[in-house]
Amino acid sequence: MNEALFSQLSTLGSSVVLLFGLILLWRRSLHAYTDAFQWQSAVLAAMFVMIGYFGHDPELYFVAVFFFVLKVLILPHYLERMEKRFGGERESQPYVNVATSLILAGLLVLLAYAVTRPLVLVSALPTRGGLPLAMGLVFVGLFVVITRKKALTQIVGFLVMENGIALLAVLGTFGIPLIVELGVFLDVLMGFLVMQVFVYHIHGTFESIDVDQLNELRH
Amino acid sequence: MTFFLLLLPPVFAALLAFVIRPYRPFVGWVNALLSLVSLGAALAFAAQAIAGGAAPTWGLALGSLGLVDVLRADSLSALLLVCVTAVASLTLFLSPGLGRPVNRPHWGELAYGPEQLRRYHVFINLFIAAMLLAVSANNVGVMWIAVEATTVFSAFIIPLKLNRASIEASWKYILIGSVGIALAFAGTVLGYFDFVSLSGRAENALNWTVLLATAPALHPEVMRLAFVFLLVGYGTKAGIAPMHTWKPDAYGESPAPLTALMSSALFAVAMYAILRWKVVADATLGGDYTNNLLIALGLLSLVVAAFSVVLATNYKRMLAYSSIEHTGLMCLGFALGPLGTFAALLHLVNHTAAKSLMFFLVDNIEHKYRSPLIADTRGLLKALPWTGALFAFTLLMLIGLPPGGIFVSEFALFRAGFALNHPWLMGVALALLAVVFVSFINHLNRMLYGAPTEGVVAGETGGWRTALLFLCVIVLVTLGLTLPAPLLTLLNQSVEIIAK
Amino acid sequence: MTGYFLEVAQALLALTLAPLLVGFVRWVKARLQNRRGAPPWQPYFELGKLFGKEVVMSNNASWLFRFAPYIVFASALAVTFLVPLVAAPLPFDGVGDLLVVVYLLLLGTFFLALAGLDPGTAFGGMGASREMTVAAIAEPTIALAIFGLALGAGSTNLGRIVTATLANPGVALSPGHLLAFAALFIVTLAETGRLPVDNPSTHLELTMIHEAMILEYSGRYLALIEWAAWLKLTIFFALLANLFVPWGLATALTPAALAVAVVTLILKFAVLGVVVAVVETRVAKLRLFRVPELLGLSFVLALLAVTSSFLLK
Repeated sequence: MNEALFSQLSTLGSSVVLLFGLILLWRRSLHAYTDAFQWQSAVLAAMFVMIGYFGHDPELYFVAVFFFVLKVLILPHYLERMEKRFGGERESQPYVNVATSLILAGLLVLLAYAVTRPLVLVSALPTRGGLPLAMGLVFVGLFVVITRKKALTQIVGFLVMENGIALLAVLGTFGIPLIVELGVFLDVLMGFLVMQVFVYHIHGTFESIDVDQLNELRH
Repeated sequence: MTFFLLLLPPVFAALLAFVIRPYRPFVGWVNALLSLVSLGAALAFAAQAIAGGAAPTWGLALGSLGLVDVLRADSLSALLLVCVTAVASLTLFLSPGLGRPVNRPHWGELAYGPEQLRRYHVFINLFIAAMLLAVSANNVGVMWIAVEATTVFSAFIIPLKLNRASIEASWKYILIGSVGIALAFAGTVLGYFDFVSLSGRAENALNWTVLLATAPALHPEVMRLAFVFLLVGYGTKAGIAPMHTWKPDAYGESPAPLTALMSSALFAVAMYAILRWKVVADATLGGDYTNNLLIALGLLSLVVAAFSVVLATNYKRMLAYSSIEHTGLMCLGFALGPLGTFAALLHLVNHTAAKSLMFFLVDNIEHKYRSPLIADTRGLLKALPWTGALFAFTLLMLIGLPPGGIFVSEFALFRAGFALNHPWLMGVALALLAVVFVSFINHLNRMLYGAPTEGVVAGETGGWRTALLFLCVIVLVTLGLTLPAPLLTLLNQSVEIIAK
Repeated sequence: MTGYFLEVAQALLALTLAPLLVGFVRWVKARLQNRRGAPPWQPYFELGKLFGKEVVMSNNASWLFRFAPYIVFASALAVTFLVPLVAAPLPFDGVGDLLVVVYLLLLGTFFLALAGLDPGTAFGGMGASREMTVAAIAEPTIALAIFGLALGAGSTNLGRIVTATLANPGVALSPGHLLAFAALFIVTLAETGRLPVDNPSTHLELTMIHEAMILEYSGRYLALIEWAAWLKLTIFFALLANLFVPWGLATALTPAALAVAVVTLILKFAVLGVVVAVVETRVAKLRLFRVPELLGLSFVLALLAVTSSFLLK
């Protein structure tokens, strides 16, 4: 009974996380993206706690705390600062329009199910049901980075992709070793800070954060 | 102990550069000297590896944190450590702000201010430290962290000069690089997942030695998926097509010493990461799967590079495409069994020497001509006699003429290919190399002869730096004429590790 | 025999409840907007008034214009025989399952659109084309969303789906069900002409979808069409309530069970009505080119529901 509940909760959590990822394809305003990322990270942190509780792994509580601080407090704070400066720009004409993006996202989740079949078959953990959804989130994040024009959207897409991989790790293995996890957090933070610096540079030089304008370098 | 001598000098150098404000030239000299310490440590590891015996490891005894045996320097690591530290030392000696006066007004926008120099020195040392960590890490998670760190650190200094082109280049670099690295992390997670579903969680499960030991029992389907992610992810850092699009932009816009380091050392580190995982994957899947993937991507890189070189108008981007070409060749080599692996490793060493040399020479040329376009660079032999001659010589060796080392490694590669019954593949690769050969000679001819472009004052300004570059040339030619016994032993041991 | 009586009784119940339901939703909306609003039984008076009035038809209208209201009304009524309103399983389950329900609904939409085009007015054509745009994405979503449930139950028979959920209560909280509910809710708003897709009480023709198609109708035809639209709302509410939260439905044909079923049905309808009223008050009408985006989202949710149900069995 405990295990069935654990399984259900983890699948439910993964679905919610994936749905927040789909918001990046549906909404157009940058504020919606940062909000969605913040909520997604909060749900993910809750999932870490839940898996730590059911899986009897106290290390995950630490990871959950770090995750929460980094991805629900620190990163969204910087994202909001950026969004206040450039938030007037909306993702009005992405390379792939919204309706098509949503349908492609559905197909990407189907692809994720196909790709992760061997993983689900091999794993014996009760959380394995959510693995395809985590992989789907990775694909959706990648899709957002490729098809969106605003630099801020691309950053959020990248962060969502990282969330997907973190979810994959925790569902498949109940968490990677702590030291690696900490290093990953540090790297994500640094990477984000670099990207943030660049968005300001882009805005300063090009007067907008539309990466479509970054097209001078050819041959 | 030796690990500390390897990894701490660049960190100290970065710290020094960070603390001294504004930038003073002695900081640059101290950095360069500290890099020699790392070089010494790397050579010590190489000597230890050649002498045989167990590979030295280092770790903290905090078992529950996964730090057991986190660093390890076997022959492959030692080989790459020597390459990386050698290029790093050369780069630091030839960095801007070191001996070369930085405030010459006639340099215009190519001059660097003290704040930029400080930033450069901090981050380039951190970049070097990250690369060294990546190559000496036993824990594949730590290796990943280090490779991601290299992306971040190098991204800070690509746009040393803030203009539209450099911002565009660095944005593409950081975005494509980060996405690629994230995919590599997904692959690492999948590999760990495979291990966990087999033997449960273990704290040192991310150690490469442990993964290799359990590899034959891992699940093939999962490993296939994991290797695809890893190849795409680390391949993005190495510049394998179709994930290569950031390379020409980044190489074209960064300061030349950073480009030299990126094109030779960083690229070697990325290939090293792929190789470590290839060994594990091969133990699980047998060699065919990974070999086929590498051949496909290698061939694609060759095709992309060959045709892009034909159309090149900017000599820095042209060299980036040449890097992609050599990446393709190396992928082919690693897919061709022990013979091919030996050739590819030799090619790695030779390419490191040749490419870094090329970019330093390009640095001289760019300072003289103030433009990266081939059309604007004429009369090189008259304007910069020594640099021009070296440039021509190295370029010819880069495209595979004897007596360069590249000729030897390419020859060995093709021999391996034909020996393993891939005549068509080798034929196509040879044809593409010929295309590159002809295009390069064409571009070179346009640059070398004739009268110098207007406004260019003839005469070398490099001084002792150009003399230092001769050292590289000597190495390259030596490797072309003979293979010193220690290097041969190291290469053979590395091949043993990769392709039994 | 009692089964068939039950079916007829169910249809009659739906017919009588439909105007009350719409009146209730309108009343709640009015109260939320700080108005007194018409009493919830106002739609009955509207129907009575319309049936008493004469029909005025355009000279350009053809036989289609006269027949369409009957077809629309008949199709909506037919669906009430197939949807589990107070009891499951029903005797007509063998005749009509999920796909038949979807087809019948689409039949009604189709004829309504034709009727909008028939008199040749500009607004009618506009309404018809807009309705088709919405229906094109919404109808497959209904099918897909309920199909997600059907996969779990092993049959597209609506009665079977209900009994499967009753037998296995835990499945009601599974991601598949929740996603399907979300998808179906969005489609309900779209198909019944509620905000944010279409404003049911608008007077501006350029913002109309459903209303634009029926601008030309009057008298008993308008009464039939309006009643059919309210029946559609009842049907969708019944689907939402009884497929996803089936407790209260009578599984045995005893008077006590039926009485409980009717009471719980009214309760569920009230809750859903309040939810829809709140949603309508809260959101603004979407611009037309953004409606496919909303429906695309519901389609993806339905697709995810199907994959969750299929692959997590």
